[in-house]
Amino acid sequence: MENTKEQALSQVKKDLKEMLVSGLSLDDVTPDEIKDDEPLFGEGLGLDSLDAVEIVVLLQRNFNIEVKDMDQGREIFQSVNTLADYVIKNRK
Amino acid sequence: MNIYGMGVLFNRGRGIASYEAALRQGWQKPSEVEAPYGPGGTYPVYQVDLEQIPDRTILKKMRRSDKLSKMAVLAAHDAVDDCGIPDIRQKNVGIIVATGHGAHPTTFEFLDGILDFGEAAASPTVFSNSVHNAAASYIASVLDIHGPTLTVTQFLFSFQAALQLAKVWLEEERCDYVLVGSADLYGEVMGYIGNSMLTTADDGKIRPFHFKPSSHVPGEGSVFFLAGNGPSQSVYCSVADVSVGGDQGDGAPADLIILDADGMLPDETAYLASVSGDIPAASYTPLFGSMMTGSAFTCAAGALMLKNQVLYPNPVVDNPHDVRLLKEKTDAPARAIHCIRYNAHAERAVINLRGAP
Repeated sequence: MENTKEQALSQVKKDLKEMLVSGLSLDDVTPDEIKDDEPLFGEGLGLDSLDAVEIVVLLQRNFNIEVKDMDQGREIFQSVNTLADYVIKNRK
Repeated sequence: MNIYGMGVLFNRGRGIASYEAALRQGWQKPSEVEAPYGPGGTYPVYQVDLEQIPDRTILKKMRRSDKLSKMAVLAAHDAVDDCGIPDIRQKNVGIIVATGHGAHPTTFEFLDGILDFGEAAASPTVFSNSVHNAAASYIASVLDIHGPTLTVTQFLFSFQAALQLAKVWLEEERCDYVLVGSADLYGEVMGYIGNSMLTTADDGKIRPFHFKPSSHVPGEGSVFFLAGNGPSQSVYCSVADVSVGGDQGDGAPADLIILDADGMLPDETAYLASVSGDIPAASYTPLFGSMMTGSAFTCAAGALMLKNQVLYPNPVVDNPHDVRLLKEKTDAPARAIHCIRYNAHAERAVINLRGAP
């Protein structure tokens, strides 16, 4: 059971990384190069506020998850780890 | 209005040297793209491959932009770099982008997004790139230019309209220089429309002097000119006059007539009225393809030939109407070149280029 959860989480992280690279046109980085705990904004991956809006759309398109409160988004969008946790908890 | 700098991006590469090489080398077979909605499975298309651009510096600043804006910024950047005016970035430079269809694949992508995922999940980035003035805005932003910007669309005369406006801005002293050019893009939808309504040359060879049936092969790319009314030393040429429709310009004689016959009209016999005299004719459309703003590429060829004092031969010389064609490279001095385009109403536009004094 635990093993299945781990696999599901790992798959979501992989999907998220691919989504970020292709959806945000990140030419300089491959999905495999994004670390799970790397900050997405600022010093980490270097994303900005326009990317945050695009991530909201990408989550809706790819995982059918709505992020309506951008204050909540600050917590969710910290890293692939936090994004993946949110997806696992809210996926319909 | 003098042309001080040029930038060219087309299917055979980036830069004036690539364009000059194409003029020297002649026709090459274009690539084939999948035609999911048409018969035959593929179309020939003169497509720009941005992955082959070796210098990624500018493209890295534009990761969110679409292909049309990227092409326009690269060509505009090269025109500014080429002009040799040391303090150009401190000058008031206007930007005028001519485009036939703008970023239509991006517009369709945005609309598809709404249809597939609903309005709430429409991509804001795709929307911003679908706006008609996006390419001009990217040029201003990436090149740090602060003058007025405008995008002009007037079907087959879009580039001519842009040139006319550039002359007005300079004469009114609205800006010191104008970065004026064109950008047009191939897209699946326009490919389908072109293949349905025009005669596509299945072998990829536009035959500009067939006139009817004309032959069409879609192209894409961008050309920019840094133009101004300053001193005429070290210029490519001057744009003496741009006439559209009833206004036939100053009627000055030319050493060469360049036709924009590219199969964008099913019947191009109107061009015959412009090639009946003793002046040799050429058409370089088989080098870059059919597009609404192909006149910008023709203008670039004329500017290069006036600067280098070399007339390049026609890349395709099929000539059933026995037009007097320029068949061989000619080193005779050239003083003036007329670039001629007809539209669907048989109206004529003439760009009258003159060599530097």
